[in-house]
Parts: sequence; C-alpha cells; structure tokens
Amino acid sequence: MEVLKTENLSIHFGGLRAIDRVNFALEKGEMHSIIGPNGAGKSTFFKLISGELSPSAGKIWFNEEDITRCPQHIVSQKGIAVSYQITNIFPRLSTFENVRVAVQSRKTAYNLWSRAESHREINEQATKILSAVKLLDKKNVLAANLPHGDQRHLEIGIALGTAPLLLLLDEPTAGLNPTETMATTNLIKEIARDLSVILVEHKMNVVMNISDRITVFHEGAIIARGSPQQIQEDPMVRKIYLGEKEG
Amino acid sequence: MKTPVAENERGRNITQWMSQKPLFWMILFFLIFPFIMPYKALATLILIFGLFSLGFNILYGYTGLLSFGHAAYFGLGAYGCGILLLRYDVSVWTGLVCGILVASTGALVIGYFCLRRRGIYFALLNLAFAQMIYFVAYQWVSLTGGEVGLRNIPVPPLSLPGFTLSIQGSLTFYYFSFFLVTIALLILKRILDSPFGRVLESIRENEKRARACGYNTNRIKLLSFVISGAFSGFAGGMYTLYMRFAGIEYLYWTTSGNVVMMTLLGGAGTFFGPFVGAALFLFLEDIISVYTKHWMIVIGGFFFFCVLLFPEGIWGRLKMVLDRRTKP
Repeated sequence: MEVLKTENLSIHFGGLRAIDRVNFALEKGEMHSIIGPNGAGKSTFFKLISGELSPSAGKIWFNEEDITRCPQHIVSQKGIAVSYQITNIFPRLSTFENVRVAVQSRKTAYNLWSRAESHREINEQATKILSAVKLLDKKNVLAANLPHGDQRHLEIGIALGTAPLLLLLDEPTAGLNPTETMATTNLIKEIARDLSVILVEHKMNVVMNISDRITVFHEGAIIARGSPQQIQEDPMVRKIYLGEKEG
Repeated sequence: MKTPVAENERGRNITQWMSQKPLFWMILFFLIFPFIMPYKALATLILIFGLFSLGFNILYGYTGLLSFGHAAYFGLGAYGCGILLLRYDVSVWTGLVCGILVASTGALVIGYFCLRRRGIYFALLNLAFAQMIYFVAYQWVSLTGGEVGLRNIPVPPLSLPGFTLSIQGSLTFYYFSFFLVTIALLILKRILDSPFGRVLESIRENEKRARACGYNTNRIKLLSFVISGAFSGFAGGMYTLYMRFAGIEYLYWTTSGNVVMMTLLGGAGTFFGPFVGAALFLFLEDIISVYTKHWMIVIGGFFFFCVLLFPEGIWGRLKMVLDRRTKP
C-alpha cells in the first residue's frame, strides 16, 4: 500500500520551477532516500508534503486522503513529521520539555486546568523517546546548551514525539563528524523499522547503507529512481550527481 | 567532612521548599505589605498594577508577543466596570465581571486582526487599535464622559452572606484587592502550569516548530491574547473601584508604555517579575514625585540602567542566582 503519493506536484517561485511535476510514491514501511545536488528542490519537496508551503499545482495523498491544501498543523495531526535540516528546537526549554510538548500535541492543547506534569502517559512516552535518541541523561539540560550532535538527535526526538506514521528526515547528519554520523545512521535504522521514512541526505555512504529505494532529484524534477545499486550504476546519475562529487 | 555536606543539604532543602511554594510566600508577603509601605494606598496601587503587568506578561513573557496597546484592555475593563456601577446601580462583583467581559471581547476582536501580522507590525497594530479606542472614548461623551471621565462612581458595600462590608476604607480596600489578586494569581499560575501554558512557552521559543508539532498556533495565540486582555481588564476594573473614577488617561498610550516598563523592569517570563517591576516603578514614582514633577526622567534613567545591567529583569536576575544556588 502507498503511504504517500504525489501527482504532478509543482511549485513555482516567480519564474523558478522549484518543484516541477513530481510524481512520487512511497510504500508503507519503506526507507526511501532522496538525493540530488544543492538546489535540486529536496527541502522544498519536504515543505510541500508537510504543508509548510502550498503547491502551485498537483496533488498530495497521504494514506489515500487528499492533503494537498491542509494547513501545516493538520498535516502533523494526520501523522507526518519533519526533522529539519537546520536545527529547529525550543532553545530555552529543557530537553525533556522539548519532546514532552511534542508528545502532548497528540493529546491536548487547550487543557488550561490540569498540571502539565501530571499527565503520566505523556511523560512516559517522552521518556521513551529521549531514551531512544540517547538523551535521557541530559533531560534537564536546556536545549540551547546541548552540543550540536545532541541537538540533531533532539531534532529527531521532537519529530518522533508527534507519533508520526511518516517521518521526513532532512539531512539528519548535517554537521556531524564520522563517529556521530555513524551513531545517527544506526538510530535512523532503528526508527525506520516501525515507520515509513523519507531521508534527504548528502552523505553517500549513509544513503547507500540504509535505503530500500532511492530517488534522484535534479532541478526540481525526478531524473532516476531505483535500488541503491541501480542508482549507483545509472549513467545519468553518475554524470550529474555522483560525477560532480568525484570531480 | 560529613556534617558540612549535610548542613548544605538541609539549607538546600529549605531554599528548595521555599522556591517550590512561591505563591505561599507571595501571599504571606502581601498580607503584611500595607504596613511596610509608606501608606496603604500605594500598596493597593502596586497590587493593581502588578496584576495588570501579570496580564501583559502572559502575552509578552510567556507567548512572546509584544503589544504596545495594552492600555486598551485596562481601559475597557475600567470603563466597563465604571459605566455599569455609575448608571445601572449594580454590585461591585457585577461591575468587575462586566469589566472583564468587555476587555476580553475587545481583546478577541483586536487580537483577531493584530495576530495576522508579526513582530513590530503586531506591536504597532495594537498601538493603533488602542489609540482608536482612546479617541472613541474621548468623543463618546454621553457614554464615557469624554475628557472629564466618569466621576463619583459609587462603590456599594459588598453584600456577603449574613452581613455587608464597606470597602471604602484604605485598609479594607487593600485587603479586598488582596483577595481578588490572590484569586487571579492562583488562576494564572494554574493556567501557566497547564498543558496549554506549556504550548504558549513552546510558541514563544519557536512558533514554526510548535506549528509543525501539530498545534494550531494562530488560535492558541488568540486565546492567550484574550486571557491577557481579561486579566488586564480585571486590573482596570479594580482601578476604577479604587479611584471611584474612570479617566480617559487609562486608555492613553502611556498606560501601555508603563506596563511594558514594569514588566521588563521586573523580568518578563517570570511569574513574580511583573509584580516586582510594578512595585519598583510605583514606589520610585511616589518618592521622586514629591521632589520633582520630572520624576519620569529619573525612572527613565533607572529603567535604562536596569535593562543594560539585567536584561532579564531584577526578579529574573535574582531568580537566576537563586536557581544556581538551589540546583546541585
């Protein structure tokens, strides 16, 4: 079954076709990577799916429901979460509260009269997620004071807090050293066991290592898709993407 | 070796207990407050403007929205309460509730439009709306008394089960205000500690992410705006009762400016900061205005140095120091 499907999805900024008639489909439980040179439209594609941007044309289906014109918070409530490329956390809240407030979004927003800490289910869920992203021992640290690598994990933790069915990971290893990259890659593998995941990533070793399938974007359009091996062998991809890197 | 550690622990426990029961200490303090102040009326004034700043702080300190137009809600509360008492001969309670309702309705309408813009535009739209209300009140003499305001507003004695209580005396009025402010504080604390309060803080920290987490941030911000307006209106209504007068200057933009100053002086985003700020502001005004009518220059200078030295506010700084001590 397809979790996500886009049909001729397009967005134009003035004359620029940032995303141009993209037809994309994601199978349930799939770990799908999107690669492509800078400016290929990968992050814009995520913004369209998550409702942050509204497309100029085309349609988006999530679990066979048309979500093309849904506002961002509704898309989140339906089960799509984003982990952002540029760390996008709540800086002056504790690490725990960062995840707790994300978990809380599934239960209540307008409860003005109970104590936030008294919701046991929410606390337990937040603790579980913090432990999964390996931040439990830093739960009382202000998010702003975490080192960069931990903030990247917290970023994923907030996204997981909203109990998504589909997780969009936008360069989760950005700015991480090889050891941290390895740890994050393992984390993503664990997460992807229970979820459908789309990963945007520049580091080829990560992509080739963990993806079920890969789609290649170039200038806002899809130019290739297939298994990691097919993509590695695709002459066109080698020329415009892998080739660029080697050269 | 053991004893000093244990003593340290005990000291920490006491300070921890104190910091865990802040409301208790605040209420205890305000019980004896009028006897510390040079005169009782000043203590009452501090309570009322403390409440106003607290209302403002919900929006600024906790939700991260700076409004330059909070005079509108203070004034709407004051006139809402005053008009009813003067013209319809109602009880003090009805007057206050009416003031709160008028202020919240004003906040709902104004907030709906202002929240369409962010940052400086939001702040100035608030100012523009507040000035509009000021001029309407100025012109609508039959309702508001215009430039003269509403004078000689009757403050009927409270009818409590079994007896009536006059709140004309300055000490009785202080304890009447103390009672109301305590209730307001308890409600406010409850709201800020609730799941909703946490969402407000997440919006202050990163609205984009809060929205991405599935919160309808526009609606939540509007609700925060209305709550802030309601508390400001409550303070306005109490001020009318205290002065037995509702004046056009309540609605003037300087009222909006004062509440921003009080909140920043004490510490935005802290629970007691606004009270500390209001107390300092009014205390200084009271002392200095005896010597010169240019008291604003001194307060302005004081404000200037405070913001430079403690951008987190006087209470905010104190809290930081205390937190560092109590945390292991």
